[in-house]
Amino acid sequence: MVICIPRFNVYIPKDVSDALNALSQRKDLIPMGGGSDLLVLIRNGIVKADTVLDLWPLRKELAYIKREDGTVRIGALTTVSELCESDLIKDVRYAGLADVCKKFSTPFIRNIATVGGNVGAAHPLSDIALMLLVLNGKVKLLSKNGEREVNIAKFFKGKRRTVRNHDEIIAEVSFTETPHNSSTAFIKFDRRWGHAMGYVLVGAYMQLRDNIIEDVRIAFDSTGNPYPERVWTTEEFLKGKEFSDELIKQALNNVLPKEMKRITDYRASAEYRLDLSKVLLRRALLKIKSRIEGGG
Amino acid sequence: MSVIPREEWDKYPDIEITLNVNGKDYKVKVKPYERLLDVLRYKLGFTGVKEGCGRGECGACVVLMDGKLVPSCLVLAVRANGSKVLTVEGLAPEGKLHAIQKALLDTYAVQCGFCFPGVILAIKALLDRNPNPTDEEIKDALSGQLCRCGSYLRFIKAVKLAAQYIREGKEYFDESGARG
Repeated sequence: MVICIPRFNVYIPKDVSDALNALSQRKDLIPMGGGSDLLVLIRNGIVKADTVLDLWPLRKELAYIKREDGTVRIGALTTVSELCESDLIKDVRYAGLADVCKKFSTPFIRNIATVGGNVGAAHPLSDIALMLLVLNGKVKLLSKNGEREVNIAKFFKGKRRTVRNHDEIIAEVSFTETPHNSSTAFIKFDRRWGHAMGYVLVGAYMQLRDNIIEDVRIAFDSTGNPYPERVWTTEEFLKGKEFSDELIKQALNNVLPKEMKRITDYRASAEYRLDLSKVLLRRALLKIKSRIEGGG
Repeated sequence: MSVIPREEWDKYPDIEITLNVNGKDYKVKVKPYERLLDVLRYKLGFTGVKEGCGRGECGACVVLMDGKLVPSCLVLAVRANGSKVLTVEGLAPEGKLHAIQKALLDTYAVQCGFCFPGVILAIKALLDRNPNPTDEEIKDALSGQLCRCGSYLRFIKAVKLAAQYIREGKEYFDESGARG
């Protein structure tokens, strides 16, 4: 029986160095993590694949969550459900990652989708990439010639385009442990629960001392470019000031709209998205404040 | 269905994989691009694995692979090499119904039934790790299972009933005693 699905070859590497060798020698290899994104793109004809490099066998080396020397390291092939079941997200400082888990696609996709794949897909609605942005994370890229670390804020170049060279694979994402008077939050707004894409996604990190905002980082799914980005001016405006309703109102009405351009498409209009961005950012900041104060 | 030229057919080698499906070992030759779904459904004849959307959205094709719920349309067959797969056929012994199936019948949740293999396995994955789930947990666990007949509220009732059956030690039921 002939099944009509796109045809391609699969290269199954023995270990990381085998995969890197193959990538450096062959230009036609497309690395695949979980496959929940790439296989759909191939099926829809958006990506023409000749040979797919299946990274799944590298899970014995690249699937881990380590917390050592003040750094959190997450292997690129850690699945989202492994991240969601880990102790890391029980830490109130990383409650934003727990928010991600609650709304990340569906349980069966979480079982195959990987952390590295979510970052490498460079889609505006990449939940984990958004949280890494506010945690000031780094992406470790491995190639045959060595490794390099790129700050995630400089990792994306466009929709589905990153600074990753052809011969590199994403090996790890990492971020420095945040101080104890800080926390994170993530809000995705959509009409549905399963497979929610979100009209607007917001991730935020805030550090409070005596109600003064010591540090704040805010990222949206898009601020004009088709990839997640931080809203630097709004962050600067909030930094060092006392947390109050009046301050947030000013930031939302006077600062945020100036640096954010939203698009209109079949899912939502630009006006609605901008309005929603304001509402969700306010909710996220209040959520973080109550988390820092022990409200959960 | 288009005819594939011979030379293109040869471009893709046959790979032999071993699969344990429902407790039985199989050796099967697969093409690299074939999905676990194709192998289970068309090569091994487990037609309980349904293809709905083919892109991981509908949840009709889910199977338990090494105890984890995965969409078989997004898992390449070569990746499943050596793993243990459970489909809806392997849930209960021949002639018996599993408590989940019985609970779905008892709550009259079945309408067209196309989504059921997926729903049953999603419920199994939930009850395996959480024997007494709340409404919210049930909604989250079944959030990926699309049912176009709209039996969602009955699924919640059925999961609670199935959990009760299993707690009472009644895991299998005779098929003849089932209402429906």
